Amino acid sequence: MSTKSLFRPLSLLRQPTRLYSSSSSPFTPSLTLPTTNNRSQSQSPSPSQSRSPTSALHELFGKSELSDPSKESFLSSSLSSLTGAAEEGLKQQHRTEMYLRKHPRNWRAGDVYAPHDLSPAEAKKWRGVKAPKRDVIDMLGVNPLDNYRNFSMISEFMTPMGRIMHSKDTGLRPVNQRKMAKAIRRAIGLGIHPSVHRHPEVMKMRGRINTGMTGGF
Amino acid sequence: MASRSVSPGGALLRASRMFSMPAPLPPPAQDAAQATFRSHSDTATTAYPTHQVITTFSHARKEGDWGLKRPLPLRSTTKSSTPMLRIKAIDTIEQITDYASGADHGLSLLKFQELGLPIVTPPPRGAEHRAEAAVGIRSVFEDDIDCTDVAPKDRPKLVDRRWRFSGPWLAGMSPGDFKKYLAEKVRPRRHEFRAFLMTKIVRDLNEARRERALNRGETWDESDEITAETVPGEIVSEFLRGVRQQNATLFKLVGEFLDLAPLKRPSELDITSLANSFRYQADVAHDTRNPYAENGPPSTHPSAGLSYIRTNGYMDNHPVYGPQKERKPVEARVLKPRTNQNYYAKLGIAGFVSETLSGDNIHNQKSAKSPLRQFDPDLKGGAKIYVHPSLASVDSAGKLLILVRDFVDPEAELVARELIGDGEGLFGQQQRQPVEEELSQETLRRKYSQKVSQGAEDYGISFGKVDN
Repeated sequence: MSTKSLFRPLSLLRQPTRLYSSSSSPFTPSLTLPTTNNRSQSQSPSPSQSRSPTSALHELFGKSELSDPSKESFLSSSLSSLTGAAEEGLKQQHRTEMYLRKHPRNWRAGDVYAPHDLSPAEAKKWRGVKAPKRDVIDMLGVNPLDNYRNFSMISEFMTPMGRIMHSKDTGLRPVNQRKMAKAIRRAIGLGIHPSVHRHPEVMKMRGRINTGMTGGF
Repeated sequence: MASRSVSPGGALLRASRMFSMPAPLPPPAQDAAQATFRSHSDTATTAYPTHQVITTFSHARKEGDWGLKRPLPLRSTTKSSTPMLRIKAIDTIEQITDYASGADHGLSLLKFQELGLPIVTPPPRGAEHRAEAAVGIRSVFEDDIDCTDVAPKDRPKLVDRRWRFSGPWLAGMSPGDFKKYLAEKVRPRRHEFRAFLMTKIVRDLNEARRERALNRGETWDESDEITAETVPGEIVSEFLRGVRQQNATLFKLVGEFLDLAPLKRPSELDITSLANSFRYQADVAHDTRNPYAENGPPSTHPSAGLSYIRTNGYMDNHPVYGPQKERKPVEARVLKPRTNQNYYAKLGIAGFVSETLSGDNIHNQKSAKSPLRQFDPDLKGGAKIYVHPSLASVDSAGKLLILVRDFVDPEAELVARELIGDGEGLFGQQQRQPVEEELSQETLRRKYSQKVSQGAEDYGISFGKVDN
């Protein structure tokens, strides 16, 4: 019988695990495959003849209760055992991310930390968005008025509602704050920048930055 | 100067701790990140201390005597096991002494000195996370790069060896700072620069004339030399027009005049330099060998006074097992595991933040169980791993960067654990805290909905079931 010839190699495969439990020599081809006691589905007198490759492979995966091939497809059962580990990994990753949210400090190499820096009170200070402490226009050495056409810059100093940001949010000193506000009014007055929201191209770009899908050259 | 006689009171004051405290340093230079909307904190420990940290004897501490103008309150100064304070003001208008704990920097220094690492020149840019970071770097105390006392006339000659420059490092300046520097410091010195160029041109001319005269066999006298007065001023303008296209010569002259820190040619890995490599080869005649040209010169001595060890070529001697092949590994705290956002895990060694190395090593394996990949809240005291720190360097911002080796010798780790009596952790497992029941509304409700007293059972009196 063709099925019998299929079974025998599988039985040989299975043999090494029974090596230490039985006293029989390892090379006697045994037709009795290791069966579990709670096998209700297989009622045949000679288990080897009724065993399908599916059920044998199930045993290899350690899923002896799923012996009925019609009930569950082989593919899904093996996949579930394989994806079990992946699922676990994803769960752990999610857990890690959730816990790391509680310590949002962006550690840089060379920073010094004391036990106080790891306390929740200090960790809270690093959460959220803060107003800048230094004047970015001074750092860059640009003239805001010459950049009225620079939509990223104009949108940066605008709230999502299209209002000009206060200097306590921009961190600019009064001279630069006035110049920046004038540049924004100029861009809006010329009709090249929206007045009630940020520039759509900038929003699109920022959206990509937030998802990490920027495809820049 | 004749020595002035000092009164006894004056002598006492001069020798006192109060008068020997140095002036506070300016605070650490703020990151460019401080100009953005990213979070920052005022109370976070700074990269280096700005005030002197003082300590006192235990018998004086319990009386509040720290050698200052007045005794300090006992409740806040006697409870710690580390008596370290930093004095922000010896006396204020409110007649108090402004002090704070200095144990954060004080203990970090002691812990770092326990590591016994040598301080070396900074690794080349781009190689900080690779195992090749140690190539080409040397101890900062090598004679040829540790030049502290340089006479002004010798400065241009030693530009490849010095670490202190009075001019800025142009590559590290932001555009706004550069424009400000040009307007305030450079522009007023134009005449001075022309005079400087004139002396150089006159000297070169004299050299050329002397050479020609000697070649022709004529005698050359000091009186035959030309001086700056006889030479017309247009020569300088002509020279400047000619040298305008030669970046290397121009930078040499300007750098000498302004005492600028040397700049390094961009590395060959830079794409733009590859494209313009033809032009670069024409321009850059001299590439400096200064080890600080790539990342900027340090603001203090390159060692920052943290460690005076010159090499890590020494062996540890174990009292029982004898000389050890590897030095003792150190327990590092995993501050942030590797995630999609940060490629390198952040480790805390002796209070300093360091990063793991890239490449195929044990820190970068994909096994999910490693504390470098995932966060486990049940680990007692937080996730910690053993690492071998190898070298340390101080960057131009004053931060100490500790280079970690990419492997840990398992034997060395066991020996280190045994030394501290970590018998339970001998097989590489950190103790886990017992899992506490999650506190949620449900569990609390369940806990408190049970009756406080069960009745007779609470008193140890149990009746049999009554059949009714």
